[in-house]
Amino acid sequence: MNAPERSAAFLLDEDNGEEKVTYASDTKVSNAGTFTFNKEDHTLGNLVRMQLLRDPNVRFAGYKIPHPLVHQIDLKIQTISSTLAPIDVLLNAVEDLGDETDTLNREAEDAIERWKKENNAGGMGQF
Amino acid sequence: MPHQRFPKVEILSIQPHEIQFLLSDTDTSMANALRRIMIAEVPTLAIDLVEFHENTTVLNDEYIAHRLGLIPIKYTPPDSMGGGDCNGAFLPHRECVCYERCPRCCVEFELDVNFDATIRERQVPEHERCLPFTITSADLRSSNDLVQPAHFLSLEEEGASHDQGISIVKIGPGQHLKLKAIARMGISKEHAKWSPVAVATYRFYPIININEEACSTLTQEQKQQLVDVCPDRILEIDAVSGKIVVSEHAWETATFTEDLKITQSAMKKRPEDDDFITVEHSTDRFIFSVEGTGAMDAEEIVMSSLRVLKDRLHYLGNMIEALKESGM
Repeated sequence: MNAPERSAAFLLDEDNGEEKVTYASDTKVSNAGTFTFNKEDHTLGNLVRMQLLRDPNVRFAGYKIPHPLVHQIDLKIQTISSTLAPIDVLLNAVEDLGDETDTLNREAEDAIERWKKENNAGGMGQF
Repeated sequence: MPHQRFPKVEILSIQPHEIQFLLSDTDTSMANALRRIMIAEVPTLAIDLVEFHENTTVLNDEYIAHRLGLIPIKYTPPDSMGGGDCNGAFLPHRECVCYERCPRCCVEFELDVNFDATIRERQVPEHERCLPFTITSADLRSSNDLVQPAHFLSLEEEGASHDQGISIVKIGPGQHLKLKAIARMGISKEHAKWSPVAVATYRFYPIININEEACSTLTQEQKQQLVDVCPDRILEIDAVSGKIVVSEHAWETATFTEDLKITQSAMKKRPEDDDFITVEHSTDRFIFSVEGTGAMDAEEIVMSSLRVLKDRLHYLGNMIEALKESGM
C-alpha cells in the first residue's frame, strides 16, 4: 500500500523537478561542498569517492546514503586550495573513471578474442 | 588525464554459460561496481504482461504468470549464435513512442496447450491417456524469431534432461491453458526476473609470502605439519630441496583460512617473531566468476556491464558539466 514503485530506485522524477546533481557549498569549511546525486547508489558512489581520494588535490572526500529508502548520495569534497573548486576535481575524477572504463572495455574485448582464437571456440577450428 | 589507471584483463575460461577472468591493476571499487552492475543493471528481456484466455490447470493465473516471468529469454543477434545484448535491438517500454506495445519494445509469446487435443495428436497408447504431462517453455511460441526462451543452460544439460524445457505447469485430462505473454526489456533493480546472472562474484588473488630465513629453522616434520594444516592445499614440500613452496594452483584454491596462523603461533619461539608464511588478500587483483542464466552468453554479460558503466559515467559527467555551466 505504501510501497513506492520499484522504478523509483533508478528513474529520475523529472515531473517533480528532481535533478540528477545539485551542489551546496559548505559554509563553515573553506574549499568544501556537498554534491547530492539523485537515483544513485554505492555502485557509482564508492567508485567516484575512491577515485577522488587518489587525487592529491583533494583533502577530504566521503560519501554517504542518508537514508536507505531514499535513493540519494551525498558526496562531500574538500580541496586543498581555493584555486581548484570541488566541482573541477569531481569532473576530473569522473573523466578519469570514464577513460579507465574505456581501457577496460578494450582490454576485455581483446582478451576474449585472444582466448577464443587460442581455444578455437565457435566451431571454427574443425577444418 | 591525471590519475587514470590502466586495468588488465586475463581470461581464465569461457563457456557459454560461465566466464572466469582475472582483473588486475584496478581497485576494489571498480571490481565491486562491475559486480553490482552485472547483477542489477544489465538490461535483459523477460515476460512482463500475461493475458489469460483459458486456464483450467491446477495453478492459478498469477502463479503461472510469476513462473512465466522468471523464464530467461534469449535474444540472438542476427549475425551470432548465442544470447546477446538486447540493448540496441529493443527500446525500454517507457521510452517507446508507441501507444501500448509494438515490435520495437515488446516481444509477444503465445501458449496454447489443451490436454485432450495434445493426447490425440501424440497418439498416446490407451492405458497412458490419463497421465499428466508438463507444459514447458518449449511450448511458448515467439512472435520474433530472434527472441526465444532459453530452455537450457548448455548443450550438456539439454542432453541430460528428460524435459523439453523449463517446466511451467503440469496438465491433466480436461485441462486447458491458453495465454498470451508480452516480454519487455528491463533491469534487475526493478524485478529480479531481469537479472542476467545466476552468480556474479569475485575473490581476491592471494599473496603468499614465505619467509625463507624463518622456515630454515623449522624441522622437516614441522614443515610437513604446516603444509598439511591448510585445508586449501596452497603449500607443498619441494621434492628436491625439502623447502616449503607455494603450490602451482594455490591462487585457485586459496580460501584464506586461519589454520596456518594458529599453527604458526604455536610453532614460534617467541610470540612477536615474524610469521613463517603469510597469506594476504591482494588489493588490486581479482578473480571474477560470472555464471549466466542462459539468457545471455557470459562474455556478453561482462561486455554489457562495461558498456552500462561507461554510459552512466558519461551521463554523470554531462550532468556535472551542466551544473558547472549553470553557475551552480
